[in-house]
Amino acid sequence: MLEVIGLSKKYGKTLAADNVGFTVPDGKVGILLGPNGAGKSTVIKSIAGLLRYKGTIRIQGMDSRTIEAKKHFAYVPEIPYMYEALTVREHIEFITRAYGVEASEEEIESLFDKFDLTDKQNKLGNELSKGMMQKVSICCALITKPDVVLLDEPMVGLDPAAIKELKAVILNLRDRGCTVLISTHMLEMVKELWDVTFVMDKGHILGTYARENLANEDLEELFFQVTGQAEKTENASVTESDSTSVNGR
Amino acid sequence: MGAIGYLYRKTLLNRVRMALRKPVTYFYAALILFYMICLSFSLRTLTENGGIDSPGSMAGVLTLFAFWLIPGNLIAYAKRKGLVYRNCDIHFMFPSPISPKQVLLYAHLRTVPMQILLNLFGVICGNLMFHVPTWKLAVYFLFSLGVENVLECCVMLLLYGSERLDEKQRGLIIKAAYGVLGILAVIGVLMYLREGLSFQTVIHFLHSDAVQLVPVIGWYIAVLHLLFTGITTVNVVGTLLYCCLFVAVVIAAVRMKCTGAFYEDAVKFAEDYEEVLANRRQGGTDKRLGRKQKYGKASVRWKRTGAGALFSRQLLEYRKSRFFIFDTSTVFALAAGAVIPWLYIREGGFGGFTPFVIPAVSAYLIFIFTAMNGKWAKELKSPYTYMIPDSAFGKLVNATAIQIIQSLVNGLLITVPGAVVMGMSPVTTVLCVLAYVSLSANKLYALAVAEIVVGGTMGTFGKQLFQMLIQGIVITAAILGAVLGAMIGGITPAYLFMDVFMILFTFIFMLIASFNFYRMETA
Repeated sequence: MLEVIGLSKKYGKTLAADNVGFTVPDGKVGILLGPNGAGKSTVIKSIAGLLRYKGTIRIQGMDSRTIEAKKHFAYVPEIPYMYEALTVREHIEFITRAYGVEASEEEIESLFDKFDLTDKQNKLGNELSKGMMQKVSICCALITKPDVVLLDEPMVGLDPAAIKELKAVILNLRDRGCTVLISTHMLEMVKELWDVTFVMDKGHILGTYARENLANEDLEELFFQVTGQAEKTENASVTESDSTSVNGR
Repeated sequence: MGAIGYLYRKTLLNRVRMALRKPVTYFYAALILFYMICLSFSLRTLTENGGIDSPGSMAGVLTLFAFWLIPGNLIAYAKRKGLVYRNCDIHFMFPSPISPKQVLLYAHLRTVPMQILLNLFGVICGNLMFHVPTWKLAVYFLFSLGVENVLECCVMLLLYGSERLDEKQRGLIIKAAYGVLGILAVIGVLMYLREGLSFQTVIHFLHSDAVQLVPVIGWYIAVLHLLFTGITTVNVVGTLLYCCLFVAVVIAAVRMKCTGAFYEDAVKFAEDYEEVLANRRQGGTDKRLGRKQKYGKASVRWKRTGAGALFSRQLLEYRKSRFFIFDTSTVFALAAGAVIPWLYIREGGFGGFTPFVIPAVSAYLIFIFTAMNGKWAKELKSPYTYMIPDSAFGKLVNATAIQIIQSLVNGLLITVPGAVVMGMSPVTTVLCVLAYVSLSANKLYALAVAEIVVGGTMGTFGKQLFQMLIQGIVITAAILGAVLGAMIGGITPAYLFMDVFMILFTFIFMLIASFNFYRMETA
């Protein structure tokens, strides 16, 4: 379970996250939605332990800053960065040592096979494309067998086959009781994955929506309504249709 | 240290393996070795001639390094700066269950190979230049890599990793470091007042008892003196204080609690570092670590089309910059322009070499700033440059025009004051400025020539070396031209021949560069 309680973060005088709170229970996929500048990155970086913040973040009931909590947690950042002088295989080896987990040869092979990395495992970090780096980043997160996974725009840069595989992996993680939090703009990509959605804007959580309570509502429509962007979208489409009719005249 | 040790070992081995596969590594290794040997021997001659070839002088030199390094490191650690993490560390290491203290140790560990090399160089110099007995050098080597390294590492843990120190306390530590430097400065001033300004006063200052009792820095200096100059009461006391400091710092570092609050600062520093690194790789000098580039508001009238848009865009960027088109090279030109006439007046002339002082200094400055290629290097890397529908020559001219104007200003700054004081004729002055401008232009186009010849085989440093090599050839040709001109008819023909030779080479490089542009566009 991932619990964020009263999270606040200031950059100078700017309040990037103001008393943010939400919980993603075990075996659920949470989606963090928000326009650019909403404060999603601040929340994600705080959960990943990359920022100082006020408030409490708990991973499986433990303070997220403790080593024990980190052992249960995996993070896939939006932009992957590889160690230039480590091969794909060595990245996995490093991560298993860092997390103190055992990974059998079969597990590693199966993971590489799923993400089409079998023939790339001896390639160095600086020889990989961005998509490949993203795949390695996901494999490194999965090999630790985490209880809580944080995925920041995980579909960006992936090919269709890898996106399909990642979706299957996320559902599989959920089915085995893992907590997943995904931050994304690509609503289409996560519409079959989510259990609970947190809509964020201007440093606040504007709404929390569980799938079972939204039988007939579309997530996208809801997002635009909550963030007040629906009017903008409507205005834009009116302007667009006006200009089309002018051009068409 | 399992994961950290694995990462360190694998990264190092893979890097060595990769480097050994590249022929250029052997070239660089030979070059560095040759440079180090030459440097050692030339320094040996220098110390012998100066009468400072004794072990005590080694303590003096290391004392100077201590003044420079120790306060700097303390301040950097207190500001949570100076430890280099890369984006990959932030991605994989920071969120992992690796102890934050180990993460700090990893950053320090990465500096160890360079420390070993520098200490080895120090040991070789100690043997060749200062005739220090081998056993003392061995003790110094072990002390530096062992004791001093552990102490520095623990200080780093305490200052960088501490979560108890608030901003105010960090500020106090920084002030204390400056305070220690202030004490050293006061000791220096008192010695100057007592003994006057001489080389001997500097030597006395470096070996003075007062310096060895200054907290932290002085105690380290006392250890060095105990080793290299022999036992005295003061250096024994200083060494004992150093030992106490060592024990206290190690215990405090081990017991300190650290949950990784420093990660935020490390992330910020890593982002800055990657940005500066990317900028340097392109030959830029405008980005500095820890300083956000500030741009003002400005506008240009986009009159020009085609390649002219390059000129307008650069002009807009320069207008937004704090110092417009001027940079470090302008400061050096200004300084040289002031120093040359001052020296001329003080020395009563430069003898027969007087007419050529300004071009010689100009050539030297341009040569040492070879790596600074400014916006031109960025244009060469930008795909948009190649996409502009215009001639290659037009792009070349427009992309370098503002830098040529900058070199004209620099040329005037370095030439005019000296020319006035030395009584150079207007024609010679103009030719002298022209020499500066053509050599600067030559540098810019030499980069494109280096790009063609060396390409991606030798990396950025290799390209810069090659650029320096061909520039060296041009300068040599210009010198020959000057000698030929002087033999024919005196100073003015000498300048004329020098300029003709340089302009000729610049024109050739320009043609090669524009041809390369064309080749890249049509390939």
